[in-house]
Amino acid sequence: MPSPLKIAPTFASAYRTGPIPRRFFLGVVNAAVQFATQMLAITIVFNQTESLGGWSREDLIVLVGVHAIVSGILGMIFSPSISSFLESIRLGTFDFLLTKPVDAQLLASVQSVAPQSTVDGGGSGHYWLWSGTAGAGFGLVVLMFILLLLAGLCMVYSFMLVLASMAFWFVKLDNIMNIFNVMFGNAGTWPITIFPAWLRGMLTFIIPIAFAVTIPAQALTGALTVGNVALTFALAAVFLTASRFFWRFAIRQYTGASA
Amino acid sequence: MPSTPIISVENLGKTYTVPEREAGVKAAVVSLFNRKTRDVQAVRDVSFDIHPGEIVGFLGPNGAGKTTTMKMLSGLLHPTAGNASVLGFTPWERDRAYLGQMTLIMGQRNQLQWDIPVIDSYQLFKAIFRISDADYKQRLDELIEWLELQSLINKPARNLSLGERMKCEIAGSLLHQPRVLYLDEPTIGLDISMQRKIREFVAEYNARTGAAVMLTSHYMADVEALCERVIVIHHGTLLYDGDLHGLVSRFSPFKTIAIEFSEPMVANGQLADANDRYGEIVSANDTGWEVRVPKSETAAVASRLLADLPVADLTISEPPIEEVIEQVFATGVET
Amino acid sequence: MSSSTPDFSKPSPRALLQFYRGQFAAALGFNLAYRGMVALWVLGSVMQPLVLIVVWQTVSEGRDTGMTAGQYAAYFMVSMVVSHMTFIWHMWEFEWRIRSGYFSPLLLRPVHPIHHDICENLSYKFVGLVGIIPAAVLMALIFGADFSGASWRSLIAFAPALLLAMALRFVIEWCLALAAFWMTKVASLNQLFDAFFLFLGGQFAPLGVMPEWIQTLSFALPFRWSIYFPIQVALGNITGADLWIGYGMQPSDRSGRGRVATDVEARGLPTTAVERSHACLHR
Repeated sequence: MPSPLKIAPTFASAYRTGPIPRRFFLGVVNAAVQFATQMLAITIVFNQTESLGGWSREDLIVLVGVHAIVSGILGMIFSPSISSFLESIRLGTFDFLLTKPVDAQLLASVQSVAPQSTVDGGGSGHYWLWSGTAGAGFGLVVLMFILLLLAGLCMVYSFMLVLASMAFWFVKLDNIMNIFNVMFGNAGTWPITIFPAWLRGMLTFIIPIAFAVTIPAQALTGALTVGNVALTFALAAVFLTASRFFWRFAIRQYTGASA
Repeated sequence: MPSTPIISVENLGKTYTVPEREAGVKAAVVSLFNRKTRDVQAVRDVSFDIHPGEIVGFLGPNGAGKTTTMKMLSGLLHPTAGNASVLGFTPWERDRAYLGQMTLIMGQRNQLQWDIPVIDSYQLFKAIFRISDADYKQRLDELIEWLELQSLINKPARNLSLGERMKCEIAGSLLHQPRVLYLDEPTIGLDISMQRKIREFVAEYNARTGAAVMLTSHYMADVEALCERVIVIHHGTLLYDGDLHGLVSRFSPFKTIAIEFSEPMVANGQLADANDRYGEIVSANDTGWEVRVPKSETAAVASRLLADLPVADLTISEPPIEEVIEQVFATGVET
Repeated sequence: MSSSTPDFSKPSPRALLQFYRGQFAAALGFNLAYRGMVALWVLGSVMQPLVLIVVWQTVSEGRDTGMTAGQYAAYFMVSMVVSHMTFIWHMWEFEWRIRSGYFSPLLLRPVHPIHHDICENLSYKFVGLVGIIPAAVLMALIFGADFSGASWRSLIAFAPALLLAMALRFVIEWCLALAAFWMTKVASLNQLFDAFFLFLGGQFAPLGVMPEWIQTLSFALPFRWSIYFPIQVALGNITGADLWIGYGMQPSDRSGRGRVATDVEARGLPTTAVERSHACLHR
């Protein structure tokens, strides 16, 4: 008996099947629709205002571009892998993974790859052109951006891993990644600074969208503070360590799929 | 058979068009504009009749076209050639009156709702097939008794074992008392005793209602227990239609002669010669031999064995059906 | 065994009613069994309006966009409810069904498969309301939604507008989902459709703040009538003649497409059902 709940994960895995070139083609179509959607959204908002909580039109395009890069990387490796992992818990095939002589966390995190998602990341080039900031600054700024982006990715990855580890207790969890995608897709395309404090806290520490998107984008728009940089690297370390511990604790709960 | 056929199939054919493309990115780009396709003939020129009350085994290796044929007959697929008439309907016109009188049971799929008690699914079938209250009650009681479902029907389908679920599935598919049953691998994955139970039930349903049954199964035990008649298809083409035993005598060119010695016999040098003299020695020990001989030479070899050796007992048998079928599929015997 | 053959040539409202009751109960059972999943899904549908309230309230700060912060909150709150109530996922589902062969059992029944889908869809919406309504109330309180235009009259007018919107969107998307019988990747179509709802339907912003061309285009397309129209009716922004024109637009957009649905079904939708998945097997 399907309903959106059941379909979404199956759909997601179906999406990964099929001939790779066709997937790329669809990836391009999806990325194009996504790009058009976001540019239109920004246009509509900036028809009404010149600044959204201190962010200019160009800044926002940079932010959306960063978001595209991050979703591309997440969608290419972590999302499909974590989905496969959740499915393998449900089907009991996680046993096979555990018997391999490789760190199970690593294997679970990178076990499947959706190459078409590179289109999302690669396509973000458009955003740079549109934002008019391309070529504005290179060198240290870009290096800082890349480092912050990596730190942000570590945090999002840790968050996904913790979510996925819940599957050791609650077997039916296939949809949690879709929910993550909805949250990340909606909240991540806007600067964290416009949200009211309570929501900002959630989007910063619970679902680390702020660190994955807003702060790296600030590196490019020049709104970065030293405190934020330090906080980002420190938290990335904390998140990674904590998620590692949580994973090892959770894996002890694994009983195999008895059903 | 004097009665009119309940299923009548004439020159049925089904060709799938599948896209075909070479590997690689360049070919992929080309294929976006210029799609190459290839035709796959899943079923070609198949004809047969099935009469009320018959149970017909439908045999063939994987990919032979069995399921495609069944899906055409149950109205899920359109054929690309030929005609069929079942209960006077053309199946793929999907007349509701036809859908209401037949059932397709697939061992690997379920129609029961996964998360609600089985009995609730049955209630739903009652509405779908417009079964009257009286009929529903009576049939349900009968099915519960035959299949021993009493303890199962109040559980959700997902809490049942595979065998239990299959029993419930079958009962649900028969509530509307179909006159034609298509059973596609109904016993797949079940343990031996559950397989036997399902088999007995199908036989009983057939005997009581006179429904026609078409059955595919990879378990020859199912076919041997239920079907007097078998239809064999291979590569989409009909290979054989007739008596199950006829199949063996037709396709197996060999018989097996088993002998028991009256006294233990050590066969040293004899065994090598024996292969030439009698036929292929399938097994040999000091109490007896098993010899496989071409059918035409059975009598001659038997008498030679009796003359040469201290035989206490001799039996001549057909090889097991399973072996014959396997051989037919492997060699693709032409009719 | 006894036998009395039912007559399937005549429609039987009684049997259909029984079927609806049973199927709805079954679907409800499913959605209740997976209430945790429904909750997560609902959480997902809260996210978009929540974010958009923040965005538009930020935009309206110290600037006149034609709507106050409170009005934006009210708009997106109702938008969430309307989007939830009109949601249909069958473009995804058909693709999955055909691939997995789940369509076969539905097509073997002497009942049109749309009835099954209607039940599933409605039951999901009702179960989801348990989460959506509290979320809507919280949202209204936190963001100070301004319902001064709404009245009991606008609420009464909202009921038919919402029902018509539900029917409109269901019929359109269900018919488009039928494309899955010919195409393999209908879900991509779905993504495009989502974008249309976002802009032409008014999910992203009230159509009043959108560029002219979007506003003009929206009149001719069904998206406005399935999202924006009911929202504005509920908020009391559409009354009098406009209300009746809107009611008129809703079914007229649908009926043409509804006919397509029954035609396609009658002519051969189910006949091609398993072919695709089967063709894959034979590759």
